[in-house]
Amino acid sequence: MRTGAIAIGVLLLVAACTVAFLVGGVHLSIADLVAGRGEEGQTARLLASLRAPRIGLAALVGGCLALAGAALQALLKNPLADPFLLGTSGGAAVGAAGAALLGLSPLLSPAAAFVGAAAASLGVALLARRGGRLDLQRLLLAGLIANAFFSALLLAAFSIASGEAARSMLFWMMGSLADATPRKVAALFPYALAGAAVLVAAAARLNLFSVGEENAAALGVDTERTKRIVFLASSLLTGVAVAFAGVIGFVGLLVPHAVRAAFGNDQRTLLPASFLVGATLVVAADAVARAAIAPVELPIGALTAALGAPVFAWLLLRTP
Amino acid sequence: MSVIARQTVLYAIASFSLLVGCRAERAKPADRRSVSSPHRVVALAPNLTEIVFALGAGDSLVGVSEYSDFPDAARRIARVGGLEVDAEKVAALRPDLVLAMAEGTARGAVSMLQAAGLPVAVVPSGSLDAVLSGIRLVGARLGRTEEAERLARDLERRRADVARRVAGRRRPRTLLLVWPDPPQAAGGGTFLNDLLREAGADNLVADRSGWPVLSPEYVATVPVELLVIPDSEQTREAYARAFRSGPLSRGPVTRARVVRLDESALTRPGPRVFDVLEKLAESLS
Amino acid sequence: MSAAAPNRLEARGLVADYGAAPVLRGLDAAIPAGAIAAVLGENGSGKSTLLKVFARVVAIGGGDVRLDGERLDALPRRQTAQRIAYVPQSVDLVFPIRTLDLVLQGRAPYARGFVAETADDRLRALEAMRACDVEALAQRDAASLSGGERRRVFLARALAQEAQVWLLDEPTSGLDPRHRLEFFETLWRIHGERGTTVVLVTHEVALAGDLATRVLLLKDGRTIAQGDRASVLTAENLERTFGAPFSGRGSRFALRSAVLPMGSLEP
Repeated sequence: MRTGAIAIGVLLLVAACTVAFLVGGVHLSIADLVAGRGEEGQTARLLASLRAPRIGLAALVGGCLALAGAALQALLKNPLADPFLLGTSGGAAVGAAGAALLGLSPLLSPAAAFVGAAAASLGVALLARRGGRLDLQRLLLAGLIANAFFSALLLAAFSIASGEAARSMLFWMMGSLADATPRKVAALFPYALAGAAVLVAAAARLNLFSVGEENAAALGVDTERTKRIVFLASSLLTGVAVAFAGVIGFVGLLVPHAVRAAFGNDQRTLLPASFLVGATLVVAADAVARAAIAPVELPIGALTAALGAPVFAWLLLRTP
Repeated sequence: MSVIARQTVLYAIASFSLLVGCRAERAKPADRRSVSSPHRVVALAPNLTEIVFALGAGDSLVGVSEYSDFPDAARRIARVGGLEVDAEKVAALRPDLVLAMAEGTARGAVSMLQAAGLPVAVVPSGSLDAVLSGIRLVGARLGRTEEAERLARDLERRRADVARRVAGRRRPRTLLLVWPDPPQAAGGGTFLNDLLREAGADNLVADRSGWPVLSPEYVATVPVELLVIPDSEQTREAYARAFRSGPLSRGPVTRARVVRLDESALTRPGPRVFDVLEKLAESLS
Repeated sequence: MSAAAPNRLEARGLVADYGAAPVLRGLDAAIPAGAIAAVLGENGSGKSTLLKVFARVVAIGGGDVRLDGERLDALPRRQTAQRIAYVPQSVDLVFPIRTLDLVLQGRAPYARGFVAETADDRLRALEAMRACDVEALAQRDAASLSGGERRRVFLARALAQEAQVWLLDEPTSGLDPRHRLEFFETLWRIHGERGTTVVLVTHEVALAGDLATRVLLLKDGRTIAQGDRASVLTAENLERTFGAPFSGRGSRFALRSAVLPMGSLEP
């Protein structure tokens, strides 16, 4: 079952990447790419050099978000858990907005976003502490409050920002993979790898958590440590994803649902499969964002929200 | 007098003057000036400020929009807000004429001011023709119909000159950017599109209306020959960055000819747009 | 401490809470190996909390808890999980899980990292399920099981865990008579075969009377009496524990009532 699931995930991802490479507002001719000379060859190669890092970034971002979502759903024993619910995205957005308002170079934006995400996660975790332990129900509530607070801050900042600051904030808040570069992909990769490794290693423990925290404790898991590790790793993955690509919602919420429906809830399958399917989803969504109304690009965050919200509503209605 | 009564009287007076004003427009120009010549004018957009000054009525301005910096004299006039118009500030200046653009973020404030009974003239935009009729409209409301007609005719003459000069010339494939990153261009239905067309350029995104934001793929592969960008202190760095390492650093756009035009003249639908038209037409020759 | 082997489970002056007010306020308990110990008390007396402390689900706030003479909190969690199995009162299953996988979770304390369950683990799990008569349910989603089936599945899980101590929190509350009987017959059989120490939390006096070899009476987070059944189960002790009038002796007790037609009620 597990190898089957992962094989399907890999296949889907490869297919999505291939299609995304070929598709777009501007037609990419493989013939020109491989053997073209002069103007056509140059154009084709230029296009390829633009699309490849973009697909790489999309895959990493999608994978990180979906994986973080799956892990949090197991940890919190809540199928509605989502990395954005815990205040991480709000903090990242405020971080980047703050940097833009202060007039800092846009190159510092990802770093600022990550700092914001980390600060928000830690703040929320502190709010949720109860008698030295991380209270999971309080965590969700604290995250919701944090997001509401950050949204208010963000809107206020947006209303007083002008020109360049406002524009960068807007496009970043809606999600964008437009300025993907190989360097960004290389920068994101180690964080994605680290976070993913930590979470996948915790898969067996997360299986116990998804029956209950007490269940895990009674079966020998150091629950406080596991909660801390999983929460931090998920926040790391979410923070870097938002830092590099802006706010892209619903991936962390819906991909684990879909994978669970198809392959069950064994975290040892669910976590890696979620990563692959999340990567596939964002690669595909980015291709649509690029091609749908070319030469104008749809903001990818708006696309996933437009797709994700009705799917989520349908899921809610279906649940007995 | 009670508040309501006072309001009603004010409203009556305001409507009456509007009516009188309307009727007066059909009268001879000489009559016009004496019947209604507003001397407390508020301009809610910088191009409107410029038009008022161009018509010689700069002294009548008591309030202008935030970005009104041309001519220099405009800088000394009280500000009433920028993109967001402070309706209360406008009302407090007790204007007898408020000039506003038809499209713009001041619409909410405009309805508020109209509801309060203040005389508001709404000037359309969207094409060079609209700029000319706007000048005539403002002139009529200011009681400066002669000056407005003179100005408009002069601009029309210059416009026709340009049209003659560019006739028959080859049109370079052009993009006019209003923002570098993400790249946003002037599309069809904008007065900047008119500008490009009449200056002899072929706007590559004329088939997209409004202000389309272009994908980096498009910008990197489109065979653009001429790039027109606004030049101003605030945006110079952003454009430089875009050329260095951003969306304007790859592909045919790096080999395109770049024409920099003063931003305030380029983006304000006022008399200076025709200066820009001439300049642009000349650079294309 | 006598020269005899230490008690399997022991608590002295145990204090514990859930972060708010303390629930256990200096509780003493001694449970010898192989006993079937019934822990009786009102709701809120701390009986479930005591079990959770033994299961290491709730932290020790003060006092001493020992497993076979060693401090419980000094032992590695994996080790205590291999020796103590906890069957909670109810488990809310939010995600789908195969019954076999649920029983296999009992093997978690023996698992090595990311490695899937070994064939040995599967064998033990299936055997445990057979012993508890739930083998046929192996492939079903655990959420679809009836109350009685689920209780026995958790019993199977405890069995698969190969623990020497079972902590059962109100294991038959809400079960109809047939399923109660099945559950206790299974429990009795396994206890007889393996000499497991069973700690049973309940407020059913008759259960204590029928099955227990040792009884602990809890009130307000403290033990008011503990010992063998005969000496502890008295009407006076029960009255002090539950704050209701009792009559009876031996293993049969009834709640006295001046109002009810029969004059008494099964506790």
